[in-house]
Amino acid sequence: MNYRNRVFLTAVLTALPLLIVTPAFAADDEFEKAEQALASKDYKTAIPILEKLVEADPDSSRNASEYRQAILRQSIAGHPKEGAVLDFDKEISFFEKQAAAHPNSSNIYLHYGFAYVDKIAAAGSITQVILANTALTQFTKSLELKPTWIGLYTRGNSYLYWPRIFGRTSLGVSDLERAYAMQKAEPKKSFHVRVYISLGDGYWKSDNIDKAVAVWREGVTQFPNSQPLKDRLSRQGEDLRAYIDNVLDPGRRVDTDLRELWGQP
Amino acid sequence: MKFLANKFVLAALLLGVPAAVIAFEGIEAKIRFTDIAAKAGVQTQHHTRKYNGKSAEVLGMFTSGGSSAAVGDFDGDGLDDIFVTDSDKGKLNHLFHNNGNMTFTDVAVAAGVAGGNDPLSIVADALWFDYDNDGRQDLLVARFGTPILYHNEGGGKFKDVSKGSGFNKFGNTIAVIAFDYDNDGLLDVMLGNYFKPENLLELKDPHVLPNDLDNAINGGGVTLWHNQGKGVFVDVTVKAGFGKHTGWTLDIGHGDYDNDGFQDIYLACDYGTDRIFFNNGDGTFTDTTEKSIGFDTRKGMNVDVADYDNDGYLDIYVTNITDEYMKECNMMWHNNHDRTFTDVSRETNTCETLWGWSAKFGDFDNDGWPDLFVVNGLRSAGKENYIPVLVNLITQPGVDFTDARLWPNIGNMTWSGYQKKKMFRNLGGQAFKEISAEAGVDNDKDGRGIAMGDFDNDGRLDLFQANADQPAIFYRGVTEGGGNWIQFKLTGTKSNRDAVGARITLTAGGLKQMHEINGANGYAGQSMSRAHFGIGKAATVDSVEIRWPNGLIEKVSGVAVNKINKVTEGKGLQR
Repeated sequence: MNYRNRVFLTAVLTALPLLIVTPAFAADDEFEKAEQALASKDYKTAIPILEKLVEADPDSSRNASEYRQAILRQSIAGHPKEGAVLDFDKEISFFEKQAAAHPNSSNIYLHYGFAYVDKIAAAGSITQVILANTALTQFTKSLELKPTWIGLYTRGNSYLYWPRIFGRTSLGVSDLERAYAMQKAEPKKSFHVRVYISLGDGYWKSDNIDKAVAVWREGVTQFPNSQPLKDRLSRQGEDLRAYIDNVLDPGRRVDTDLRELWGQP
Repeated sequence: MKFLANKFVLAALLLGVPAAVIAFEGIEAKIRFTDIAAKAGVQTQHHTRKYNGKSAEVLGMFTSGGSSAAVGDFDGDGLDDIFVTDSDKGKLNHLFHNNGNMTFTDVAVAAGVAGGNDPLSIVADALWFDYDNDGRQDLLVARFGTPILYHNEGGGKFKDVSKGSGFNKFGNTIAVIAFDYDNDGLLDVMLGNYFKPENLLELKDPHVLPNDLDNAINGGGVTLWHNQGKGVFVDVTVKAGFGKHTGWTLDIGHGDYDNDGFQDIYLACDYGTDRIFFNNGDGTFTDTTEKSIGFDTRKGMNVDVADYDNDGYLDIYVTNITDEYMKECNMMWHNNHDRTFTDVSRETNTCETLWGWSAKFGDFDNDGWPDLFVVNGLRSAGKENYIPVLVNLITQPGVDFTDARLWPNIGNMTWSGYQKKKMFRNLGGQAFKEISAEAGVDNDKDGRGIAMGDFDNDGRLDLFQANADQPAIFYRGVTEGGGNWIQFKLTGTKSNRDAVGARITLTAGGLKQMHEINGANGYAGQSMSRAHFGIGKAATVDSVEIRWPNGLIEKVSGVAVNKINKVTEGKGLQR
């Protein structure tokens, strides 16, 4: 997995509960076909199959995620820097239709939001603000339908990317604290480390350094091999500021690939 | 991009560093400036235009430029003077005559060049150029309106010759340059226009703002005016190949980017992609943006041109907006020598200058490497920040950005204000180091234009900073222990008399440098027409070669160090 941009990817890790909605065996066959096509960079074959799978099973995060990744990879293959804006518009349009067709699917709205996130790096600086805000709208809708850990984690992280002057950091901290409470009430999972990281980032961005360090330290006791936590705890002052500013740079592409989840127990 | 950048750095390390280090290490001077605006009598207050009606504040916000300065020796006394614009209705421009002791006297009214801010026009920029090759600097005042062309009559008097000049086309002009695009010996004019050509002062349709904040195509583009001689200019925009450009032009930078002897054009555009046009040598240009620099979505504010790494090719510096809420990064376009450029602003440490406006290259310590001064800041006012208010507008689904009535009033709010100016020392052509505070130039005014000159002819460059709605700053260069220097005042004979486009290549102390005379590159600021070279500890010059715009290559001998050297085309050094 590419850890380059972490946050949303992490969010995806927590999509495990959603993945419990197991696709039918026939759908699995189709999914396998799409995966093979993707492996050979045959996007023209893979994308229509994945679209049908999403339409048939809107609550499958696996299908929705792979569809988005197929669009992303196809776009970047054609436009090496960050992909083409129009490609992502197709992705957004697809999820817009799915949201209309499945208005009660929390998962669809989650990926509808991710579709806007996918476009951000390819867009201009002001359009990025519009896209990020629209993504939040969809994440909120997803949470209204079903307040999941992944929904809270995703929206909470998204708020952290907003510069301080917009006053959204506290909203992010609130979401992440709820996600933290949720995970504390269930058996530990490997992806829970992400909340320790991001909640600490949220505290740090709220100028509450002591709470940030405390939650990062708690995370390290739970996940002693977490390099992102070690990185934060080993820095102070301007060094830490530069590190987190880089992590939360809104112009960088966020890795929204959920694929790693599928290997989770 | 990363690969290209690495390739650039590697190549530089392999090829450029030895010479660079030798030259750079010779000078240890700390660059210093001191503000003498009040003492010099040039601390003039600028006033942005106030509008009437429901969209008054929004239009004021969108047109908060107009504070510019142009350096030229209008009376031919060997001392550069400064023309400074104002913009509000009835406000007068200033022509600061250089008294020779670093004080100035405003003679604008007596000279007849103070006007221009009439009820339906806004003064926005200015240009000195000798359009009729009579040896006297004429003046063009660019406006949101029609330009005013003043002919220098001599004796400190100017005559408004606009009526017969052909400059009769309305434009919301924010930038103007003079260059001889066809090398016919007469300076032509390009006007950069921000809004589309509708008079904002009697607004009939409020849909005048950008149709997209990253990819706008409803701006004013540019117009190109061919000098026919006898004071007549003809609009050749379409014929020359600029007719399809409809971006929000904020600045124009010209130079011979491909070393073919013809002047090329770079356009910095707000709300959308910059553009680069290469001169075909037959009176037309080709837009090579996609291949040369790629399309961008940034807020291009300024173009300055120099060979910052002394590799014999002109590079281009463009300021954009990099602030807490918008991280665009500037562009330091390194010339790849094949009509393409690579942005190395991050690698050279020139990326972040906040809400950028004008930027100028200049060798402030005379070590042979062009340093950089960048002004910034949009609006410094009350404690409340306009950005969250603005974001509420732009994130509304389906909002029509073009409609001035929809934009929230800014009141007394601050928007990217109180920003510290940035000065960078060139570290041997490989990177730049920020030295703003130690150099004494880290003021927090709302900067707009920079005009660079050597107003006391002491070989240390001075900087005039024009600010919006604030008093100007005038930095005198007071660096001690800087390197030796040479300046050239060129006079064309067959080429245009101002020698705009002439290229001087100088070798001294083992370092080869190149400078091209430009006709007002840089946002809202025209620097002195003399070419300035720092040569470090070198006490003599090995060689000087001038390529004149008409193609003549002239070697110049007997050049004096720490002096202004006057060279006339085909006649060599003039004593």
